[in-house]
Amino acid sequence: AGFLLLLLVSNLLLFVLSHYIHNLSSEMFSEFDKRYTHGRGFITRTINSCHTSSLPTPEDKEQAQQINQKDFLSLIVSILRSWNEPLYHLVTEVRGMQEAPEAILSKAVEIEEQTKRLLEGMELIVSQVHPETKENEIYPVWSGLPSLQMADEESRLSAYYNLLHCLRRDSHKIDNYLKLLKCRIIHNNNC
Amino acid sequence: MKENVLSATVFTLLLFLNTCLLNGQLPPGKPEIFKCRSPNKETFTCWWRPGTDGGLPTNYSLTYHREGETLMHECPDYITGGPNSCHFGKQYTSMWRTYIMMVNATNQMGSSFSDELYVDVTYIVQPDPPLELTVEVKQPEDRKPYLWMKWSPPTLIDLKTGWFTLLYEIRLKPEKAAEWETHFAGQQTEFKILSLHPGQKYLVQVRCKPDHGYWSAWSPATFIQIPSDFIMNDTTVWISVAVLSAVICLIIVWAVALKGYSMVTCIFPPVPGPKIKGFDAHLLEKGKSEELLSALGCQDFPPTSDYEDLLVEYLEVDDSEDQHLMSVHSKEHPSQGMKPTYLDPDTDSGRGSCDSPSLLSEKCEEPQANPSTFYDPEVIEKPENPETSHTWDSQCISMEGKIPYFHAGGSKCSTWPLIQHNPRSSYHSITDVCEVAVGPADAPATLLDEAGKDALKSSQTIKSREEGKATQQREVESFHSKTDQDTPWLLPQEKTPFGSAKPLDYVEIHKVNKDGALSLLPKQRENSRQPEKPRAPENSKEYAKVSGVMDNNILVLVPDLHAKNVACFEESAKEAPPSLEQNQAEKDLANFTATPSKCRIQLGGLDYLDPACFTHSFH
Repeated sequence: AGFLLLLLVSNLLLFVLSHYIHNLSSEMFSEFDKRYTHGRGFITRTINSCHTSSLPTPEDKEQAQQINQKDFLSLIVSILRSWNEPLYHLVTEVRGMQEAPEAILSKAVEIEEQTKRLLEGMELIVSQVHPETKENEIYPVWSGLPSLQMADEESRLSAYYNLLHCLRRDSHKIDNYLKLLKCRIIHNNNC
Repeated sequence: MKENVLSATVFTLLLFLNTCLLNGQLPPGKPEIFKCRSPNKETFTCWWRPGTDGGLPTNYSLTYHREGETLMHECPDYITGGPNSCHFGKQYTSMWRTYIMMVNATNQMGSSFSDELYVDVTYIVQPDPPLELTVEVKQPEDRKPYLWMKWSPPTLIDLKTGWFTLLYEIRLKPEKAAEWETHFAGQQTEFKILSLHPGQKYLVQVRCKPDHGYWSAWSPATFIQIPSDFIMNDTTVWISVAVLSAVICLIIVWAVALKGYSMVTCIFPPVPGPKIKGFDAHLLEKGKSEELLSALGCQDFPPTSDYEDLLVEYLEVDDSEDQHLMSVHSKEHPSQGMKPTYLDPDTDSGRGSCDSPSLLSEKCEEPQANPSTFYDPEVIEKPENPETSHTWDSQCISMEGKIPYFHAGGSKCSTWPLIQHNPRSSYHSITDVCEVAVGPADAPATLLDEAGKDALKSSQTIKSREEGKATQQREVESFHSKTDQDTPWLLPQEKTPFGSAKPLDYVEIHKVNKDGALSLLPKQRENSRQPEKPRAPENSKEYAKVSGVMDNNILVLVPDLHAKNVACFEESAKEAPPSLEQNQAEKDLANFTATPSKCRIQLGGLDYLDPACFTHSFH
């Protein structure tokens, strides 16, 4: 536990990164919605659309406090890993669009990059603090690429909307989890 | 057939509706859930707006189901959030999950459903305002004062575990101001303000927001009165001073660069050189007035030593109560005439006074009408001395308060020091004054030489100085010359080599130069100290007495062996022995054009010659 504390303290940047990534995601979603989908009820199609919903992530404070430290860290790493591919394709597809929206593209690029850094940091900590953790832990796989490439505009827009909606949610989740961990490990639940 | 059924149905419906309308009863209107908020990410509340109630009591129910679940639930709490609300407690609240909810309005006539609302608690977080805002003015002794404000997070928010992260913002403004001054405070629950307006009453408010969510409302305003002795941050003052100085320097540099020389000459005007053709200032410095004046082309001027003897005059100044030597308006512009009070010559019997005609006349333009204490009124009024722009004229010497006052400049004597009437205070003769003004080491001759030199060049200012007996005296107001070259001639009374308590003392007129400048000497007494300046030792001069007048323009002088006062002259080495000889005197007197009778004044037991008379002969 002391070692984890040391690692987390020396990697305070991680907490900053998670906060930053969610801000970007939130902005990206808002811009996309405002521009393409607002008022058209796309939100209804987001129900059960996130590929990470299968992960047993805590959904309130009590559940979060019941998870042990190791599982908590693994969970975070799994979420981050599961977003590698979707982010990659998001950037590729947006970049390939005709009249690609620059604001959205730039944010997508930034999110992809920072998420990689966050993942590396978390994997480092896990490998040091919980080396017994299997390297190839299962993580949810995203399979929404075909949807992003659909010919039907409505379906395609819906696919993007869902992707950005799930990204916004999961980045918020990671940020909240890391802040919980920070207060638990560094400040002993006395933030 | 179908048409009949159809029309019958329509008819029935219309009948039904008419019945309802007549009764005024309708199914309820469609409600709308317009707002959901979570103050702490652990509970949340939704509010709806009912539609028309149709005139009948209407029940509302909220039903929901959550993402990933199929089961429908009803609102667990209609009370806590107030009317037309649904409150979700901890066990019913989940983050990162969409709630799909709907309100159903039901009355007797029917029911009505609202649109479905998709709500994720993650994005509806808005805390309550912070609590317990306290504001204090803190004025630590060794540091700058500041405004200290402190507050508490709202209740029911879990910060300790990190579940909730709060960020704060404060704002303040003077009571009457229109704009708020806002400061972001981060996660801290206290804040310092340094720059405040003293004596003002301030309003302070604070609000908070989650790391991701909506700002709370502003807390109620807290008032604080800033004390009047609240000192603002010095840095601001210093920065302002520095910036102002830099700006001023830049302006000056720019102005100098532009104007260049012309400005320099404006500020520091060149000292006007002597206007006398052939005049050599250096000669004057050395005291070789004869050479000097000869260079100017004056033959037989100054007069020879004999003449100098003749010219010996004793100027006595008395600032006793009864006499008004002069009233002076020292602040007058030089162009204005001096306005001395006229000293009654009758009262200075036996004494030379400022008013005594023993003084050289001079060409004070304006004061021609005003008798000066130092100048013979008669002489002044003579119009035949237009050139008598004695620089010495302007050297008005006042004996007020023992403070010499030299003013040279043009031919005006415009300001005179205020005369102090002090019966008790001792006064000095001009000699004393002169000597003191120059310094103990200098004889008045030197002083006056300098004065003469300076007078030629510029006017001078003698600044009074508070004496030890200043309480008894009034300050002589300084007079600033045109050329702004002030020669502060201080008068340390105590240091007067001639003592400080002589009721009467005399100065000798040592020389008169071409311009009528008086060169004065302290009168040498038997018991007086020798001035430091070397003198021709045994050249004690005696008074010459006019024994007669020849040819209407020649004074016959004889040494006055019975003179009360024996004066020691200081003469240049070139001068003849001081003994007055008739032949020399006669020779010199031949140059005189002044009316001898006028020149001879008898005051008391002493005969005096008015040297002013003689000077006129030089022109």
